[in-house]
Amino acid sequence: MSYLCLENVVKTFNKTEVVKKMNLEIKQGELVSFLGPSGCGKTTTLNMIAGFLEVDGGKIVVDGKPVHLLPPNKREMGMVFQNYALFPHMTVFENVAYGLKLRKVSKDEIKSRVAEALEMVRLTGYEKRYPRELSGGQQQRVSLARALVIKPKVLLLDEPLSNLDAKLRQEMREEIVDIQKRVGITTIFVTHDQEEALAISDRIAVMYEGRIEQLDTPVEIYNHPQTDFVSRFIGEVNQVQGKVVKTLNNQESLVSFYGYEQILTRHLAKNSVIDFYIRPEKIHISLEPNDGIVVKVDRKMFLGAKTRYILHNKENKHIIADIPNTVLNPDHVQEGKDVSIQWNSEDLLATKK
Amino acid sequence: MQPETAYQEQELLFKQKKKNLSKKRMDYLLLLLPTLGIFIFFFLLPLFFLFITGFKTFDASSGVGNDWTLENYTKFLSDTFYLGVLWRTVKIALLTTLVAIVISFPVAYQITKANRRIKNYLTLIVLSPLLISMVIRCYGWVILLSNNGVVNNALLKFGWIDKPLTLLYTEFSVVIGMVHVLFPYMVLSIMGSLERIDPSVIRASQNLGASPIRTFFSIVLPLTLPGIFAGSVMVFSLGISSFVTPAILGGPQVKVMSFLTYEQVAVMLNWPYGSAIGFLLIFIATITIIIYSKLLTTSKKGVAIQ
Repeated sequence: MSYLCLENVVKTFNKTEVVKKMNLEIKQGELVSFLGPSGCGKTTTLNMIAGFLEVDGGKIVVDGKPVHLLPPNKREMGMVFQNYALFPHMTVFENVAYGLKLRKVSKDEIKSRVAEALEMVRLTGYEKRYPRELSGGQQQRVSLARALVIKPKVLLLDEPLSNLDAKLRQEMREEIVDIQKRVGITTIFVTHDQEEALAISDRIAVMYEGRIEQLDTPVEIYNHPQTDFVSRFIGEVNQVQGKVVKTLNNQESLVSFYGYEQILTRHLAKNSVIDFYIRPEKIHISLEPNDGIVVKVDRKMFLGAKTRYILHNKENKHIIADIPNTVLNPDHVQEGKDVSIQWNSEDLLATKK
Repeated sequence: MQPETAYQEQELLFKQKKKNLSKKRMDYLLLLLPTLGIFIFFFLLPLFFLFITGFKTFDASSGVGNDWTLENYTKFLSDTFYLGVLWRTVKIALLTTLVAIVISFPVAYQITKANRRIKNYLTLIVLSPLLISMVIRCYGWVILLSNNGVVNNALLKFGWIDKPLTLLYTEFSVVIGMVHVLFPYMVLSIMGSLERIDPSVIRASQNLGASPIRTFFSIVLPLTLPGIFAGSVMVFSLGISSFVTPAILGGPQVKVMSFLTYEQVAVMLNWPYGSAIGFLLIFIATITIIIYSKLLTTSKKGVAIQ
């Protein structure tokens, strides 16, 4: 039984639907990321769950009870904002205690629960500081403690890491997952950073134009994208065109990629031309010519552990290949020379349009 | 050689920095100079002379006598009539400030929430009283409030009163007139504070379980105190020293300090006494503002009040 349910949720701004009949089920204790480019409706959806925006259709159910008609202060949800949104006129202690005071918790209990929450985010000793005396990362931790101390039903994180610098961001995201798992709280994490989403989520909802394109585990999203958009949005891909030469039997067809023929384990109509996607790291480069698709090396970029090769074939089709330097020594590949590339047929991502 | 050159280089850099800094300071000074000049020669210096004159004797022929005396101050502070005028002046200014805060806050709140185009129009409407001459606006209020004015006539016609109410030439009419002139200052400075509140802070409060009313008193109001303070200082100091509005809407019945000063300086030609009254007004206004600022600063921490 799912804990948080969106049923046909719709949001319209000025007659354009920004969230289109969205359905989503999240299990208790699960961390689900909303991932998508800006304007895909992820923040709008989050704001509807939090109650800052009204739904224009459909239902939001938490723990079996519909909540979409409740005002935000009755929804029992903890939210962490992109810009922390701490109360600037209150100390760290007062910030965290705010929600407890509203719940008429006794003074002693407030003290112990705030102390517990601050310990969880490793900020014990900062009680008397004001937000402006804290660094960005510390402010975000206070914000997290403030959201969790009220023991909300759902934790909502609205791009919580985007204002932090790269190194701190990685540290904070591990800390957030760590705390989330320890508390066991159902969490929605909004982000536009796919690496972040892949690293921390139990499941990712990839959103595009107000729709969930795919809801799946990070591994499935990366390796088996179900739609065109997901293939292009998650990771990097090369688009290659395959022409079906002939259908061998019900499961296999022979496909030609710019003259390089390969047997694919799927049934495809003869003579049809199909777009496939292949990730740069799945391409193999062979220094022998005529060992696959012949391409010319335009440029190579040394990226540390790997080297990126920018290639093009006779039809002027650009292809990017990332090869670990332990597999192929970049010194052996010269710019302007011909090499050949190939790939395993199971690494090709074919998607329904 | 290496470390030495490095050292020299640093030394040079340091000197250059110092030079730049002093040059910058000069630039600041140059920019401030015109205002500073006007401020010193046309405000501080006359103020100093005012202070001095207050301790001089009155001379019927030349205005200011040559001898020193405390008589001007003792005369004022021992006379209940004068003390009554002082109290009335402070009372009118405080009331004006209070009424201005109460009516300006909702206005400022709505304007900040409105979308951009409407915001511009609303701001213009709020500022419109400042575009009309003070005298004209005051006579407008006279027409409305006098014994056979619009308000009394309307009330009589509806049968809500039997004889006209005394509205004009009271403290009430003076406060109304002053609020009308001064509330734009309050609206603008409260708007400044409200606009600086991050909307997500308000959302955070609601998210943590605070009702809109609770959010207003716990979050919005404390965060707008700097604006309320700035507005209050402006309205209070303009109110306590105003002359035209009390003169037209209060008449001789509602005498205020600035009117007393005018009377002494321009009618009685008793300049030393006028100076003493004027200086007392400045003194009382300053003290009130300092107390007010102390009260606000102790009542709330975290957000700085200048």
